[in-house]
Amino acid sequence: MAEESILTDDFLRELMNVGEVDILVGMPTYNDAATVGQVVQAVRAGLIKYFPRQRAVIINADGGSKDATPELVRAASISDLRQPSGLTALRTLHSISTQYPHGGENGQALRLLLAAADLLRAGACVVVSADSVNIEAEWLDRLLRPITNGSADLVTPLYHRHRFDGLLVRNLLYPMIRAMYGKRVREPYPSEFAFSGRLGSYLLGQDIWSEDGGNSGAEICITISALAGNFQVAESFLGSRGRIEHGPADLVHAMRQTVGVSFWLLDPTFPAWSATTGSQPVPSSGGGPQVTLEPLRINRKRLHQMFQVGVAELEPVLKSILAPPTLAELQKEAAAPQETFRYPDDLWVRTVYEFAASYHKSVISRDHIIQALAPLYRGRAYTFLVENIDATGEQTENKVEDLCLTFERLKPYLLEMWDGRK
Amino acid sequence: MKLLRSKPRHPPFVGFADFYFLGSLNLVMPQTAPWYQDAIIYQVHARTFYDSNGDGVGDFRGLAQKLDYLQDLGITAIWLMPFFPSPLRDDGYDIADYRSVHRNYGTLEDFKSFLDAAHQRGIRVIIEMVLNHTSDQHPWFQESRSSRDNPKRDWYVWSETDTRYRGVRIIFLDTELSNWAWDPVSKEYYWHRFFSHQPDLNYDNPAVREEMWNVMKFWLDMGVDGFRLDAVPYLVEREGTSCENLPETHAVLKELRAKLDQQFPGKMLLAEANQWPADLRPYFGNGDEFHMAFHFPLMPRMFMGLKLEDRKPITEILQQTPAIPDGCQWCLFLRNHDELTLEMVTDMERDYMYDEYARDKNMRLNLGIRRRLAPLLDNDRRRIELMNGMLMSLPGTPIIYYGDEIGMGDNVNLGDRNGVRTPMQWDGGWNGGFSAADPESLYSPLMLNPVYGFQAVNVHSQKRFEHSLLSWMKRIIKVRKSAPVFGSGSIEFLYPANHRVLAYIRQLGNETVLIVNNLSSAAQAVELDLKRYKGNILIEMFGRNIFPRIGDLPYLLTLGSYQFYWFRLRRI
Amino acid sequence: MWEKFVAESTRATREIVTDAAQFLPHLLEMLIIVVLGWLIAYVLRAILRSILRLTKFDRFSEHTGASRLLNQAALPSSSELLSRLVFWVAWLGFILLGVGVLGIVGLQQHISNFFGFLPRLFTALFVFFFGFLAASFFSRAALLAAVNADLPSPRLISSTIRTLLIILTISMAFEELELAEHTVLVAFALIFGSLMLGLALAFGLGGQDLARRYLERRFGRARKEEREDELSPL
Repeated sequence: MAEESILTDDFLRELMNVGEVDILVGMPTYNDAATVGQVVQAVRAGLIKYFPRQRAVIINADGGSKDATPELVRAASISDLRQPSGLTALRTLHSISTQYPHGGENGQALRLLLAAADLLRAGACVVVSADSVNIEAEWLDRLLRPITNGSADLVTPLYHRHRFDGLLVRNLLYPMIRAMYGKRVREPYPSEFAFSGRLGSYLLGQDIWSEDGGNSGAEICITISALAGNFQVAESFLGSRGRIEHGPADLVHAMRQTVGVSFWLLDPTFPAWSATTGSQPVPSSGGGPQVTLEPLRINRKRLHQMFQVGVAELEPVLKSILAPPTLAELQKEAAAPQETFRYPDDLWVRTVYEFAASYHKSVISRDHIIQALAPLYRGRAYTFLVENIDATGEQTENKVEDLCLTFERLKPYLLEMWDGRK
Repeated sequence: MKLLRSKPRHPPFVGFADFYFLGSLNLVMPQTAPWYQDAIIYQVHARTFYDSNGDGVGDFRGLAQKLDYLQDLGITAIWLMPFFPSPLRDDGYDIADYRSVHRNYGTLEDFKSFLDAAHQRGIRVIIEMVLNHTSDQHPWFQESRSSRDNPKRDWYVWSETDTRYRGVRIIFLDTELSNWAWDPVSKEYYWHRFFSHQPDLNYDNPAVREEMWNVMKFWLDMGVDGFRLDAVPYLVEREGTSCENLPETHAVLKELRAKLDQQFPGKMLLAEANQWPADLRPYFGNGDEFHMAFHFPLMPRMFMGLKLEDRKPITEILQQTPAIPDGCQWCLFLRNHDELTLEMVTDMERDYMYDEYARDKNMRLNLGIRRRLAPLLDNDRRRIELMNGMLMSLPGTPIIYYGDEIGMGDNVNLGDRNGVRTPMQWDGGWNGGFSAADPESLYSPLMLNPVYGFQAVNVHSQKRFEHSLLSWMKRIIKVRKSAPVFGSGSIEFLYPANHRVLAYIRQLGNETVLIVNNLSSAAQAVELDLKRYKGNILIEMFGRNIFPRIGDLPYLLTLGSYQFYWFRLRRI
Repeated sequence: MWEKFVAESTRATREIVTDAAQFLPHLLEMLIIVVLGWLIAYVLRAILRSILRLTKFDRFSEHTGASRLLNQAALPSSSELLSRLVFWVAWLGFILLGVGVLGIVGLQQHISNFFGFLPRLFTALFVFFFGFLAASFFSRAALLAAVNADLPSPRLISSTIRTLLIILTISMAFEELELAEHTVLVAFALIFGSLMLGLALAFGLGGQDLARRYLERRFGRARKEEREDELSPL
């Protein structure tokens, strides 16, 4: 796909008017009318307060909203608007809006923003999520500062999360990406992140914008590409992560976006990850990740049940993905009653690695491999919930750390499977 | 119905009503504007211009000899800095005798002949008048302080305590601790808003008001065409107020104006008050107070807009500028004898200006930057032209500070603001042609460096070339004078999406001028919404070239680095 | 008598010898054609292989997903498969050509029939192959979807789909071969119909309770879930 096909003539004209910028704020939207106004205000306030001298632009890439989201962005863009806080901008601040075709999927929006950033020669770009309910002006500073002072090329966020929020990130994405690429990036699938113009141009030139990675899960693509490309990554603590839920979370879809994309990227980044051992922390500012402990009502029984059914029913599929000992062990665990059932770290890591290797070898349809992992993840999520139900925040963190170390320890197992036959 | 000079408005709301309103105004528009609306003022100090007697200090005879130069330049009025007898502890703003000329600059006769010579050339003369205070050397104050029962005692503001008018801000914080100063002779405190050697006159005393009018009358009788009234907000004091901008002060000023209009019609009063435009607005009254006032906040924002490559600071301040009564006018300037004042900007803007224009701390003074135009703009001819282009085309009467028309430099090593008050550079010869005296005896050292020194920058060399800054200044002044729309037309900003382009339309009667400025160092394309002028053709005012007719589509213009266009719109 | 016998024998022998003498060149011709055919086919295979390698056919087939299917069917890579196929078809053609040279009456007819039948055979094989692959793919997709959507009896759903697809494939292949097409069609219709009837009966009668329980579970749970906290995986 050529670049000119993603930038419309109108958008290009608007970009011409914006001209060269120092900071580009990208905001993909899709039916975010409820929150977008507030997000734009926070972004404007952040730019005026923390980057008054920099030339900045807010670009909204809209996936065809039906609720007048782009109009709201433009309405909030009146450049001579007096801020209620009494802050006035030194410069004109453009807010422009454009459409991209794939409704709801961020990949094309991000690609469009990267193309715009490249054209405008933006030194730093930040992407903010339009459905955030608690974004603050400070976020801009925290995300952009490491970029503008030249100490990082990618800044990922740290959130204040509930300890059972983001189980897939904690049980699979974070530990695996950490083990693969040797950098401890807590949020490899960020909703808010910032990157340098240098990284942006590099990403735009990467072959990651095809159907597999480009449409969904582009955020994880960016993180992994930055890590594999040896760019400096930093983390900034933002605060709690409040989102408006647009609909019930679809686990399989979420796994395709994240696990699928990270498995997919193992192929092109093989030279980078195969040579990496251990892991280092990335520089972070503003405090570490924090967890909250309010009790949650979760149907654990159902998680366990779906795991059991999955292992039993998917046996023929799992047979072609997992090594026989792993499968046997898994079946043994699945046979245990709910009270004593646990999905141990070691077995989980081997499961994930065998799935990754099978994905690499395409033993069956790659999408089926990801789908087959979903029920197993439920079993792992159940285990995590049960093991941490009475744990303190620190204990939960320790559990995650243990899992990470297991991922790192068993990495040679993945390398073994990668080339050889099981 | 008052003429709106500056119409605060937002682009989406430029509508039919505004257009209609402007159209209806044309019917009541006076045929010829008052002289000061179309004037181009040249600001000069007699000391700095030309020394006719070889004593190292410029004088009125010298100034008179150089009137041909000023006439050739095209300016229509001269604003003279204070030339009265004075101990010169505040650049002559501490006047010791209102009815005479400081001996350094010549005699009253010299002044009279200069005035006549200027009038012969059609050049008007504006002089300084300091109403608020005198020097403590002035005979009035000497009398007043001599004893508590002296008849002139209540010509000044005396008090037994220093606690009256508490809370009134101190202007010269660096040097003064209080607005009251102790007089050891009469054992009382006297009031002074500026330096302690400048006691404030008591305007509650009718005798003072009468005497000050007599002073002004003295000069008006001689033929001066207007006064720049210094420090006007502080004339009257009242307990419990800030003692600034009081109604009583306005009353005093209105009284002066009434007498002026009655006895000397056609003369002009110009207010010096470093205030926000909205606070300045009362000094125009209902057209019955001042004719003109300086627009202080615009100037730093023009520099800021140029550095930011963004029109926002300029459009924003002009949007906030209130409309002023018919017959009134703003005075615009790029630089003057003071520092580039940054009082009328926010802290953030001030920091930015300091970082961009005065990185060297030595260039800063008080809340401002003590530099001349050319060094501020890195001696970049394109930027100097652009700034002058804006000065000449924004609504108001432009003031050119002496030497800026040839791009003179400054000497930040001289104390205070003396760095921008070095002698005028006439040629590359002895003392730059300013004086025949020994260089050591000049009132100020000349500029000598290879970039701005008199051998590089002088009138004589610039006169020889068509492309010199001086020749260019002559041209732009000529073009500006060719169209009264610049002096008294209305202004309406266009807001093209490209924020690096500042575009506006000036209109007067059926004359319409479009001005487009590129504030950026890079070439720019801009699309102007000129639908309302569909069918007009554009005529570039400098070369008189014809540009394409305005159609339905946005009018596309491309501008080079710091380029600007002045177009006359003509329907043919 | 003896003489007659000898004369007959001599004549027969002569005839055989003559026949053999007539036949032997044909046989030689055939052998030459077969050997030459093998050579030509071998060269063809080599040429095709290098062309496919040069055009990166394997990568193309990987992109289209064909490689994955072949892999699952334990077949060699697509370029190898294609080259081998061309080799065998070419050689087989030459063999048949050689046999034709023998001039055996009746065989000629069969040979031309064989050549006429060849394209259809290929098509049928093709349908067979991809039909089976599609059956395994879609049945697995259904299985995974059913498991992840928490539907009852995922295996049953999956194998039903597989059976139906295989039957469909067989009927299509037979139709292509123009063999017992009607029988197959009728068989397919019968099986499909009875399956549907069986399912209907199962759900209607035998599975009444199951169906009720299932529906209750679905909607009952959905209502209950709303009161539970949503657990975001990301």
